[in-house]
Amino acid sequence: MGNAPLPQSRRCTPGRVLATIPKELDSGGCPQGEVKGRIKKSCSLWFILGTLLFSAPLPAYAMHISEGILPLPWAALWFAVAALFVVTGVRQLNRLARQDLAMKPLVGLLAAVVFIISCMPIPVPTAGTCSHPCGTGIAAILVGPLVSVVISTVALLIQALVMAHGGLSTLGADIVSMGVVGSFAGYFAFRLLRFAGAGLGASAFAAGVVTDWATYMTTSFELASGIRGSEPFWPLATNIMLAFVPTQLLLGVLEGAMTAGMVTLLARKRPDLLIKMKLLTPGEATGRA
Amino acid sequence: MRHLHTPTPGSSHPVTSLDARVKLLTALALLVMVVSHGGVLFPLLVAMAGSALCLAIGVRPRLLLLRFAEPLLLAVIVLLLKSFFSGSEPLWHASPGGIDMTLHRDGLLEGVRIAVRIAGAVAVVAAVGFATPFTELLAALAWLRVPRGLIEVTIFAWRYLFVLADDAQVIHAAQRNRLGYVGLRRGIRSFGTLAGALVIKAFDSSQTMTTAMVQRGYDGTLPLLAHRPLRTAEVLPAATMVFLMGALWRL
Repeated sequence: MGNAPLPQSRRCTPGRVLATIPKELDSGGCPQGEVKGRIKKSCSLWFILGTLLFSAPLPAYAMHISEGILPLPWAALWFAVAALFVVTGVRQLNRLARQDLAMKPLVGLLAAVVFIISCMPIPVPTAGTCSHPCGTGIAAILVGPLVSVVISTVALLIQALVMAHGGLSTLGADIVSMGVVGSFAGYFAFRLLRFAGAGLGASAFAAGVVTDWATYMTTSFELASGIRGSEPFWPLATNIMLAFVPTQLLLGVLEGAMTAGMVTLLARKRPDLLIKMKLLTPGEATGRA
Repeated sequence: MRHLHTPTPGSSHPVTSLDARVKLLTALALLVMVVSHGGVLFPLLVAMAGSALCLAIGVRPRLLLLRFAEPLLLAVIVLLLKSFFSGSEPLWHASPGGIDMTLHRDGLLEGVRIAVRIAGAVAVVAAVGFATPFTELLAALAWLRVPRGLIEVTIFAWRYLFVLADDAQVIHAAQRNRLGYVGLRRGIRSFGTLAGALVIKAFDSSQTMTTAMVQRGYDGTLPLLAHRPLRTAEVLPAATMVFLMGALWRL
């Protein structure tokens, strides 16, 4: 078992994909017709690998818009929009912290969890690559969308300063896509489904899916606005969004499953935490037990 | 996460001992210049200067490459996107396998402009990140009137990041040893369990931490690093450099 080859979904980096080329292209000792067939196959393989190499890393690494991509006016605009939500979020956090001293440490630790989650690769079989979840869906469910904006800001700030993932000049745009749009979309999806009587797991699943897809849609718009130059905006935005589709469609579902897994684990192991965060009533928790 | 486990090099380079506020302000000024520049040479110059500074303060080339890998990959992708999918002046044309591919001159130039802007901006932030401890950067941000609540939460996150990352690694290793990541469905379930376990640890640790801090007088606000007065010997060279770069930017 230990020596079994890795499944395709585990070969997640472009480097690993490329490492398999020589074996795939080796046609030694075959009849001529078979060789021709193999050459055709090899050409298709090269085409697929080339496409993977150039298209797969885009979604894999484009969760945050990279440093320097956005020109100053757009960077400033997104920064101003983000600042509005961050300041409101910090005010709400201060209000909550006055009632419960453990709130700031809790939000700090949740930010660390979101940071760690967003550093973990998830294999995406449709692209043969890895991407990573946002992690803001769970934060929005647990502490509300405004405090979740603060959590995203902290995670993004650390990533920008120590990992060159995202950036300072694009921090505003990244906060808007992942923190503001992702958190609010996920939170409202969760609340709407809970209001409609859906279960905890199903609602968390929807929140994860909506968070991921909303984040990527916003990222596409921001990216298109930044790099379009003199080109028309909508065709470029649509193209970027379509480039995200092969991985993000599935990754959103995976993030939904992960968020549902997290919430159901909390409901099973520590319902007291969900009661504290007002996600479950004591009666519901007793019913589940 | 590999970046995080490599501390800022204990270099004797004068830049590392500069006041974090001076470094941050200089970096922000350079960043504004890079992202607002419409040409190629200035961002390229900043990229080269930033990279050279990183190497001068003792950052290993491998680590530097690791830090630059992701943004530069994105820069290459943007360059290709702009070259082939935008622009109107054809520079090169081919039809491999019946697929029309046209490289546009104006698209290529625009792509190069964005790519060097990315390289320049990343080099600036990498240099300030390598030359300054994270906690000092946070104190400098507080001095720049970034909301205190945000700084406090970031300090808590930074303090517990490594503890939680270690816990995550232990859980992940245990799950892998029990074939928890064989197959997509099992992998997702294991990942959900791992993330849920981290959330539980975050809740429990925050309670324990608060109890311990309250016993030491915590009243809801954290003390931040105190700043010494800014020295002319530090501010003057930084301001001169910014003005020089500003002059180059205008050229």
